[in-house]
Amino acid sequence: MNISEKIHDAVSFATERIPLHKFDFYSVVHKKEVPVHKLSWAYYTGGLALFFFMIQLTTGLMLLFYYQPTVSDAHASVEYLTRHVPMGALIRNMHTWGSSGMIACVMVHMLMAFAMKAFERPREITWVTGVLLLLITFGFGFTGYLLPWHQIAVNATKVGLQSIEEAGRYMPGGLADLPRQFREIIQGEPSVGQATLSRFYVLHVILLPLSIFGVLGLHLLSVQLHGMSKGVDQPTKKTERFFPFFILKDFSLWGGAFLILFIVALCLPFESFFSFPLFQPYDALGSTPDGIKPEWYFYFVYYPLELLPFWLVMLGQTVAVGGLFAAPWIFKNTSRRSLSIIAGAAAAYLVISTIFGQAIYEMIKGVH
Amino acid sequence: MHTIRIPLTLAAFALLHVGATAHPEFQAWSQTNSGRFVNCAMCHAHPDGPEGVKAGQIGSLTPAEMLVLNEARAAFEPGKKIESPILNKFGNSIVEQLGRREVIALRPTPGALATKLDPAHDIDGDGLGDEREYREGTDPLDAQSGNPAALFRINFARQRFHILMIVLATACALYGLNHLLRGLHRVASRAQKSQAR
Amino acid sequence: MLNIFLFAALPYVAVFVLLVGSYWRYRTDRFSYSALSSQFLEDRKLLWGSICWHVGILVILLGHVLGLCFPGVWQAIVANRTILLLVEFTGLLFTILCVIGLVALAIRRATSGKLQIVSTPVDFAVLGLLLAQVLLGLWVAIAHRWGAAWAPASLSPYLFSLVTFNPNIEYVQDMPGLVKMHIAGAWFLLLLIPFSRLVHIFSIPFEYLWRRPQKVVWTNPRRFTQAEEQVAVAEDRRVFLRAGLGLSAGVALLGVGTADKMVRYFKGPEMTPEEEGDLLAKKLERLEQTSEQRELELERIRAAYIRVARLDELTANKGKYFTDYQMRPALAFLGSDGLPTLISAKCTHLGCTVGSDLDGDGRLLCPCHVSYFDLKTGAPNAGAPAKSPLGHLGWALMDESGNVLLSQNPSGVREGSADPEALKGAIVCIARRFEEAKA
Repeated sequence: MNISEKIHDAVSFATERIPLHKFDFYSVVHKKEVPVHKLSWAYYTGGLALFFFMIQLTTGLMLLFYYQPTVSDAHASVEYLTRHVPMGALIRNMHTWGSSGMIACVMVHMLMAFAMKAFERPREITWVTGVLLLLITFGFGFTGYLLPWHQIAVNATKVGLQSIEEAGRYMPGGLADLPRQFREIIQGEPSVGQATLSRFYVLHVILLPLSIFGVLGLHLLSVQLHGMSKGVDQPTKKTERFFPFFILKDFSLWGGAFLILFIVALCLPFESFFSFPLFQPYDALGSTPDGIKPEWYFYFVYYPLELLPFWLVMLGQTVAVGGLFAAPWIFKNTSRRSLSIIAGAAAAYLVISTIFGQAIYEMIKGVH
Repeated sequence: MHTIRIPLTLAAFALLHVGATAHPEFQAWSQTNSGRFVNCAMCHAHPDGPEGVKAGQIGSLTPAEMLVLNEARAAFEPGKKIESPILNKFGNSIVEQLGRREVIALRPTPGALATKLDPAHDIDGDGLGDEREYREGTDPLDAQSGNPAALFRINFARQRFHILMIVLATACALYGLNHLLRGLHRVASRAQKSQAR
Repeated sequence: MLNIFLFAALPYVAVFVLLVGSYWRYRTDRFSYSALSSQFLEDRKLLWGSICWHVGILVILLGHVLGLCFPGVWQAIVANRTILLLVEFTGLLFTILCVIGLVALAIRRATSGKLQIVSTPVDFAVLGLLLAQVLLGLWVAIAHRWGAAWAPASLSPYLFSLVTFNPNIEYVQDMPGLVKMHIAGAWFLLLLIPFSRLVHIFSIPFEYLWRRPQKVVWTNPRRFTQAEEQVAVAEDRRVFLRAGLGLSAGVALLGVGTADKMVRYFKGPEMTPEEEGDLLAKKLERLEQTSEQRELELERIRAAYIRVARLDELTANKGKYFTDYQMRPALAFLGSDGLPTLISAKCTHLGCTVGSDLDGDGRLLCPCHVSYFDLKTGAPNAGAPAKSPLGHLGWALMDESGNVLLSQNPSGVREGSADPEALKGAIVCIARRFEEAKA
């Protein structure tokens, strides 16, 4: 194959994946049909994730008006917002519950897209951007968690970053120090402090949002261009029009989700689920309270790290993330049935490690 | 006269310092009873308790604050409003309600403290009384801390009006959006049909 | 006397005349139960007059009925300032609409020759009385504002007292003159109903609200096909009308609610001076803590030795916390040989600060994941989550004048004389050279 043929192949690859010629009002709005089958409910999960993201954006912007990103003022500014500013507690709780909601939706969306083989040609770019979005979303969760600068925030972040250094034990000789140096670059200083807070703040408020706008734009464009994937091996001829019926149901779901989020945020402070010392201001020179854990959506990594050898968990993670990115090519010829089984197993693992992780950990290590 | 005063002062001094160490029995009871981790900050100004050199601990008090502390330590009978610099509002309210003598007497039976406190006292105004928050291991000074199910019910009742309004608003908006999209769809398909003809 | 007549006697007279008169008219002159529409004679001005008037008065009457018949619920809703503002503003708007309508109708009847042929004095009386009543109501709303809040409290009980044949005029006899005139005007209007066109109130075509759309079937083929189109357009109109109503209601509610909350959110809190004082004190305290931390950091950059404690302050069982040159926590104990033992307090597992109490076996506990560290060796217990030992720190014993009497580096090598007498009153310090050597 000579160069011109390769370029020709590349161009046709790109044109098939990003068919901009289909981006007209008629195709995108009027003619779009959504397949109706047993798994059609999964078509709403992506939109729900987008909805939660919009909530995060709005509430996050509002929180920015009061938050101060310095170690001496961060906790006080959040306390001021929660206790004194009218509706401050509501906005803060909406942001926190919303983050849990967004990550839950994103995980369900990914599992269902995998099970429905939505990454099948020509939707590879949708899938790959989606995996990127997943990583960015987890990044949002990790960086945002540090910002209130209370005990659980700082200590959980320390614990999370310390796990990077563990990799140094497996590296030969001179390279053994690299993970520690890498970690110090992330932190900005030898131990988590003002430099870390400033960096995480920039990441959470500027860099990650900018990246998510770009990647999400590409992801959504791709969805609009290709339409909804068929989802099952033998789709019935039954479809419903995207506009107005599907989109109406989509918006109704958003309305319902909004009401649930609003009522929960208004009536149920997320802090009430944790012991109160975890939310006291971080004291570098004082004692550390009990119960330091990362957020629930990291449990599926955290408990394995606590229980299994580090190298095993790292291997598993690398295989998983690599497998996710390369899924359109690895699973090109896999049947939807097998994919559903894999997705089901992954879902089972996620649910069990998240809900029962603590119990399993205590069972193995002995209660303390 | 002077010869009597010295022993008296010594005795008063000694009495003042009875139980002058921290009372971890109460914290331990709260933690065991509730199953939640509780630290000294439930009653004290510093999370690690009154001993030490940090803010809110005895080692960091100015002479003026030491005077206030000694005054607070002398509040053996209930009813005296104190502002001890090593206690937070809840700690001060316990001493005010019971008097320091009774608090020290309760050390062997820390659970009884909950029954002796006024259940209507609610410093953070979250609807859960202070003695309930002591029993359940949540922060009596923070309205965001409390038994989740109880907080949900209390807040739901308090915010009924706003919840009703938002449900109404969302329902109306969705109803309107529904009909708007249907209307646009009807217009569009009629236009398409007439075009096809 | 006049009060008793106007508010105790007149209501009963008016209602009695209304009921008896309306019934009489129905039995004797059924076809007069109509609005006596003159649309055929003049319809341009009627559009402005009738629509404005009827839309306006229906909303106003609805507000009156809701407030007077359900005072509890109404007052609970109107207790919210924003809602009260909204209600009063709506009332004002629709009253103006009423006035425009009535004035248009009056002008119409006064200027149209065709109309005057069929008009009776009662028609003019109706217009006049209605206009007077509406203007009085407007005047009351302006002169005695927030009627939506204060009116139900007095007028509901008054009406209830009339209904239960126990008239109590105390509720209204001391009200401002304008209000009393407005109430009296209402009774007079009730009196007037059976004698005027106002009987059309009893024949409101409610069924029109839910009547199915009508499709006219023409024999003319052109009109027949046209009818299809017209039905579709009419149905469209209904759909868009519902859409508009729904969206407006939703947007209005959401808008009001959001605006109310968001304005307050961005305006910030209104705190009492005590709260502001507390807040500022807390901020000051945090600032002082940060400044103390910076001082510590500066000391560690500049000073060769940093004081930990006096030797006689240290105990064997409870360590004293201090901060080492790396700003990490550390503990100082009194060793069995009377010399200090300094050990890092940063757990080697995940960095929590270990506790300062030695347990029975001479071990320190890290509470986060339960690792026990032996004080002498720093080693964690077997099976602990922590794998590496806690490091010991080098120390130096200085006298008052800053001479180093005895020092021990992190590896345990001592330098200097360990004379117990000389060491009385010595000060335990950490030394930068020991930290640098280690790093």
